[in-house]
This record gives sequence, C-alpha cells and structure tokens, in this order.
Amino acid sequence: MFTDKKLLERLDKMLEDGINGTFEESDYDETKLSKLESKWLRYLTSSKLSYQKIEQEREKLKELVSDISHQTKTPLANILLYSQLFQEQNLDEHSRQLVNEIRQQSEKLEFLIQSLIKTSRLETGTFQLSPSENDMDSLIKSSVEQITPKAENKQIKIIYNSKSCIARFDSKWTQESLFNILDNAVKYSPEQSEIHIAVKAFEMFSCISVSDNGIGISEDELPRIFGRFYRGRNVIEQNGVGIGLYLSRQIIKEQGGYIQAESKIAKGSVFKIFLPK
Amino acid sequence: MTVLKTENLTKIYGSGDNKVTALNNANLSVEQGEFAAIVGTSGSGKSTLLHMLGGLDRPTSGKVLVKNKDIFSLKDEALTIFRRRKIGFVFQSFNLVPTLNVYENIVFPIQLDGNDVDEKFVGEVIHSLGLEDMKNRLPNQLSGGQQQRVAIARALATKPAIILADEPTGNLDSKTSQDVLSLLKVTGQKFSQTIVMITHNEAIAQMADRIIRIEDGKIIKGGEPND
Repeated sequence: MFTDKKLLERLDKMLEDGINGTFEESDYDETKLSKLESKWLRYLTSSKLSYQKIEQEREKLKELVSDISHQTKTPLANILLYSQLFQEQNLDEHSRQLVNEIRQQSEKLEFLIQSLIKTSRLETGTFQLSPSENDMDSLIKSSVEQITPKAENKQIKIIYNSKSCIARFDSKWTQESLFNILDNAVKYSPEQSEIHIAVKAFEMFSCISVSDNGIGISEDELPRIFGRFYRGRNVIEQNGVGIGLYLSRQIIKEQGGYIQAESKIAKGSVFKIFLPK
Repeated sequence: MTVLKTENLTKIYGSGDNKVTALNNANLSVEQGEFAAIVGTSGSGKSTLLHMLGGLDRPTSGKVLVKNKDIFSLKDEALTIFRRRKIGFVFQSFNLVPTLNVYENIVFPIQLDGNDVDEKFVGEVIHSLGLEDMKNRLPNQLSGGQQQRVAIARALATKPAIILADEPTGNLDSKTSQDVLSLLKVTGQKFSQTIVMITHNEAIAQMADRIIRIEDGKIIKGGEPND
C-alpha cells in the first residue's frame, strides 16, 4: 500500500508527465490508483483531440479567408472597370450620379475586403511580421510622401524635423499602420491646418507621435476608437469603414508595441506609436 | 470572462462623530486580459479600494470576487496564501528584497509557495522586460526604473489572476515612467495578464484600456467594461 506521501508524489508525477505530454499508465491492476491512471489518460487524450480539432478549424478558416480574397478580386475589379467605362459614356445628370455612386461604393467594398483579409491574416498568424532594427526616420519619410497628395488637397502642412531614431519593426507593415494614422489626421483636420510628427527615444521603447488640430475625440469614445468597425459619433458623414485604427493597432501589437491616443474635442488628437528597441 | 468583481464594497473607518466612509457601495468588474486604471484624487478612496481588491484589508460590508471566489470568506491564513498565488503586486516603492539578486527576487514568491520555477516562462518574462543582463545584480545596483521592471517581472512570474499596481511610477522621473508603463502594458498584452493600476495622474491613466473614476468613495464612471 502507498503511504500518503508516496501517493502524493505519484500523483504529482502523473500531473507533471501529463503537462509534458509523456504520461503512460504504469501498471494494470485492480487498485484505485490504476483506475485513476486510466481515467487520467482518457482525459489527456480527449483534451489533445479537442486541441487538434481547434487547430483544424483554424486551418479551415485560413483557407476560407484566402478563398474569399482570391475569388472576389476579379469580379470586383470588373465592376470597377465597367463603371469607369460607363462613366465615359454620354450620360444625363441623373445617370452620372448613379454611376458615381456605384463606383464609390465599389471602391469602398474593395478597401473593406482588403482590410478585413489583412486583419484576419494577422490574427490567425498567416502573415508573420518580421521586425528588425530599423530607423524610424526613413519610415516616417516614406509615409509622409504617401500622404502628401491627400494633405495637399486640403492644403494641410505636414511638419517633421528629420531625426534618427532606432527601433525594431517590420518596415512594410509599420508603414501601413503609420499611414492609417496620418490618413485619419488628414481626414479629420480642417483645411490649411498643420500636422506635426515627432520621434522620441526612451531606454526600452521609441515613439512616433502624430498631432493634429482636428475635430478631436471625446473621453468616453477614446477607448473604443480602436475597436473593429467603430466609427466616431461626429464622423458619420465622413467616408470610412472603421477598420483603419483596428488594423494599425493590431500591426503594432504584433510587434510588441502599442498605440496610445490622447484627444480633446475641437482641439485635436495625438496618436503615439510605441515600438520596442 | 470576469476576473475581478466587487459587490457593494463599503469601508467605514471609526465610529460616531469620527466616522469616515472611505468606500461607499463600490461596484466594478474587470475582464480577463483588461488593463484598467482607477483614477481619483488623494483621499478619494482609491488606495482603500486597492487594499480591498488585494485582500490586504477587510471591508466593512460587501464582497470582492476573484475568479468568482469571495476572498473575504477565507480565514486570514488562507487569504495570505490566496494572495500569494493569485495576486501580483507592484508598489510605488518597488519592495524588492535587498539581499537577493534580480533573478532571486523574481522567483522568490514561487519558491515561497514551494513550487518549481517554470524556467521557460520566467526566462520569457525576463527577456520581455529587458533584464537578462542584470540577473545577478543586487537591487541597490539598479536604477529606479530597472528596479520597477524587476518588480513587474516578479508580479508576472507567478502567473497571477490579477496584477495590482499602486502608483507604479510614483517614484520615477517622467521619461523612465513612460518606459515602465510601456513595459507594463506590453507584457500585460503578451501574457494576457489582467492589470488594475491605481493612479492620480490623468496622463498615466490614458495608457489603460479603461478608466475607472472614483470620487468621495464612490465609483462615478467606468465601473463596468462597457460604461
């Protein structure tokens, strides 16, 4: 017979082996311990099976996402093409408005599908970000270049004093994230205003901040703006689907960083991207 | 999943004319993986609230539920053990053991509990907080920010249900504070750790996913996840 101490040691070993996935039944006899071992093995096997099932379902989900992405591309491109061709026809005013609307909505749909696919791939781990040591300076410069045409349309000045600042990030994806934030800044700022970009280095992190003089976000809305499909109450009339900030945050989070937002209604907002060094 | 919940939590100090209601029917709940900040001026009851949440002091009435367990139904000794296993503390004053080196400080609560150290997990925590190069140093050989990083590592190492941080940057300059808060936030995300932080500083509170406001012992905003 086992003493209490021996029994506890045996049970501890069973758990330990269970955690490491190396558990085997020691003996087959009529003792309660032997029955317990069989039961423990049965439990381990069933939890392993359910884990495998989850993995399989995740795989299926990945396939579905990639199917949607592939199969919708061509029809969407065609809709856009035909609406462009249609626009070139001699149309009366009413028809022209309708075609414009079709085209705008198709573009929105295309953007939405692309963004959803990106977030889904980030979340399921299909896309692997590869952060490496980079200079934020070049990241900012290329993002500014990308946003400049839109900013010029509203005569918004983007001010950035070039400064070298090292962090670990994936250039391509981080640029997408920064661009989304700049895009919002331009979208929600008045004409002829200024957007300031600055970098700052800390011991463990580096930070890019983007400040605007836009419409601002109220305190109770602030925690929600990063939610998927959340659109601010004051921006309903602006074009958008509410996925940009969600995607931006996801990209930064994947790289061990975070985005912080501070804002005052009618004064403007500051978005800070923190990335580890 | 709700990790932390209070039900009509009330704390009254003194009696008669000296009666002070430090906490008045406070109700709040925090979800798994959330980073919540409790904000209030000094004397608002936020420290009293944190002490109750951490089981450091018993309420006059009401309940604190950690993972659905009413912690004040436990006797003192059981409560002490519960606290050691389920709650990680980060204090303003770091509270590291001066004679133990960084690594020993981090695994100290695990060893107190007589458990084997999960080296892989602890190694990951140490790496995330950038402490690899100072594992063998003593606390007095570290800067304030570094000491607080050790305290965060120590809180994470036991995989607690909640980390309670009481003015974690109160003794740090603003630049170091930013770093320490960044690490608290990022490691919290990485290890899906629920964090409740107390502060009087608005800017620091902005780091959190949710701000719970307390005034005169009452929770006036943000008590529930979707307030």
